[in-house]
Amino acid sequence: MTGPVIDVRDVSITLGGHRIHRGLNLSVARGEMVALIGGSGTGKSVLLREIIGLLKPQAGRIELFGQSVPDSTPEQMNALRRRLGVLFQDGALFSSLSVEDNVATPLFEHTRLPHAMCRQLARLKLDMAGLHPDAAKKRPSELSGGMRKRVALARALALDPELLFLDEPTSGLDPISARAFDVLIRLLADSLGLTVFLVTHDLDTLFSIVDRVIVLSEGRVLGSGTVAELKRIDDPWLRDYFAARAPEGETAHGN
Amino acid sequence: MGVTEARAQFDEGQGALIASGDWHAEAAAALPALPDQPARILDGADITQLDTNGAWMLLAAARWQAGESLPELRAFQPQHLAMLQLVARHSAAATALPEPPRAGVLELTGRGALAMGMHVLGLVDFIGRLSIELAVLMGRPGQWRWREFGAQLSAVFVGAIPIVFGMLFLLGVVFAYLLGSQAQQYGANIFVVDGLLLAILREISPVIVAVLVAGRSGAAITAQIGTMKITEEIDAITTLGLSPLVVLVIPRVLAVLIALPLLVFIGDIAGILGGMLITQVQLDITYAMFMDRLADVLNLKTLMVGLGKAPAFAIFIALIACRMGLSVTRDARSVGEHTTSTVVQSLVAIIVLNAIFAVMFVRLDI
Repeated sequence: MTGPVIDVRDVSITLGGHRIHRGLNLSVARGEMVALIGGSGTGKSVLLREIIGLLKPQAGRIELFGQSVPDSTPEQMNALRRRLGVLFQDGALFSSLSVEDNVATPLFEHTRLPHAMCRQLARLKLDMAGLHPDAAKKRPSELSGGMRKRVALARALALDPELLFLDEPTSGLDPISARAFDVLIRLLADSLGLTVFLVTHDLDTLFSIVDRVIVLSEGRVLGSGTVAELKRIDDPWLRDYFAARAPEGETAHGN
Repeated sequence: MGVTEARAQFDEGQGALIASGDWHAEAAAALPALPDQPARILDGADITQLDTNGAWMLLAAARWQAGESLPELRAFQPQHLAMLQLVARHSAAATALPEPPRAGVLELTGRGALAMGMHVLGLVDFIGRLSIELAVLMGRPGQWRWREFGAQLSAVFVGAIPIVFGMLFLLGVVFAYLLGSQAQQYGANIFVVDGLLLAILREISPVIVAVLVAGRSGAAITAQIGTMKITEEIDAITTLGLSPLVVLVIPRVLAVLIALPLLVFIGDIAGILGGMLITQVQLDITYAMFMDRLADVLNLKTLMVGLGKAPAFAIFIALIACRMGLSVTRDARSVGEHTTSTVVQSLVAIIVLNAIFAVMFVRLDI
């Protein structure tokens, strides 16, 4: 129980002739909230897909809860996936199901509970994600972008995962909704004791809720630490990245 | 992590529910029946694990209703206590809702009939709006979308040639074979050519080709325009000051209108070739005899009756497909529903039109 929740060692992958990762190392401890940043095309999303087992690296080791992801059989992987929740970038809600059924789907599929009880649990999750009960019977297409993200978060939390992956949780949200969503994620992570691994471009998220930031560059981890520690690293991309935000204390929003 | 089942027992004397083990969705699903009375005390000393699903089930096992005050929580570990209180705060939303009533056969039939009526009305409205756009477009030939028209023509016509040829060839084979086996009994072998020509040119080719185009291109048009609607491309076209009817609908209607008669003609040839092949094998009618008889009985009228139906079928297929595409609402399911509806409506339209034509031609002695 004390080992790292995510452990990535010497991972290399080449996709379409491009070497995306060249011996990448990182680990995330239980209860941490870690953000992954990096320029476009540095393989953030690829890394996320590798960790949740949707892509297989050509070399290296990836372990979740001490179990190797690339070497798992499909049954082992499914058991492992029940311990993770994933929030996809655009929510990836099932458009043919109601909001409530979207959240209840993991419960329908993975538990023996009666469907009526699954739906009650789904509404509990929706309420925790800050959605009004009236929204439960609507279809995803009837919701605003911010509400869809909340539904997707509720679905990611449906099976009470220990580890939550978020791909650009605040992209496409206005600054007010984005901050509210940040606060919600932090609140849920603290109260449910979650480990959170998020990919983001949102500087405000980094400054406000994240414990540690990992920077990807040229297929490797360039640095890892708090924002203040990263600012000391002499790298042109990182300097430009942090310069994109007005100095702390001023209320300006970078997105 | 040792998985121990969630357990709970009710202590009558204290009115206490004593819970132990791992409380999560799966483990708590197999609880034994508990007395149906609210617990005054909830004892969680031996709970080893508790997540939100488990906490909700624990509260349900204690027959706690949202809005009431919580039972006395005894000997819980701090993190379990926090979890229980968190879930209790959010439980008001998680009450059981009644299932929506299911519609009966009568209601569904009524709704279906209404929907059909609405489709006819919608099509009339669509034709009206399209006519206005066409009238405007007549004055401004520069706005015709020739490139889009070319692309559509290639998709609807060129792409369909192999399947139209193959299908009609086989239908010609089957039809000539059946006709031949009957005609043989009366020694009327050569009249198979007459029957084949009449059937292929007047009925089989136009109807079958129209059905193929409705399934192939009609469905494609609805799916494409519907997806464009979802990705807001239609809105973008409107915002750029263009009319979706001019940019998307008119080129498609024209393409289908031109492609369908051409395909029917190709189908005519394929059907005759199929029949010719089989009459030679089955009835010993040589290709030369077949062609000779063909030249005698083939008149322009028979050919034109078949080709003349094609544009009418084409207009309906294209209009229905475009209208259904534009009326897609904003989710993926709607694209599927509308595509299905396009094919069904087109088939109904083809059959009804064909029946009208048949009666009309008989009355007009054609």
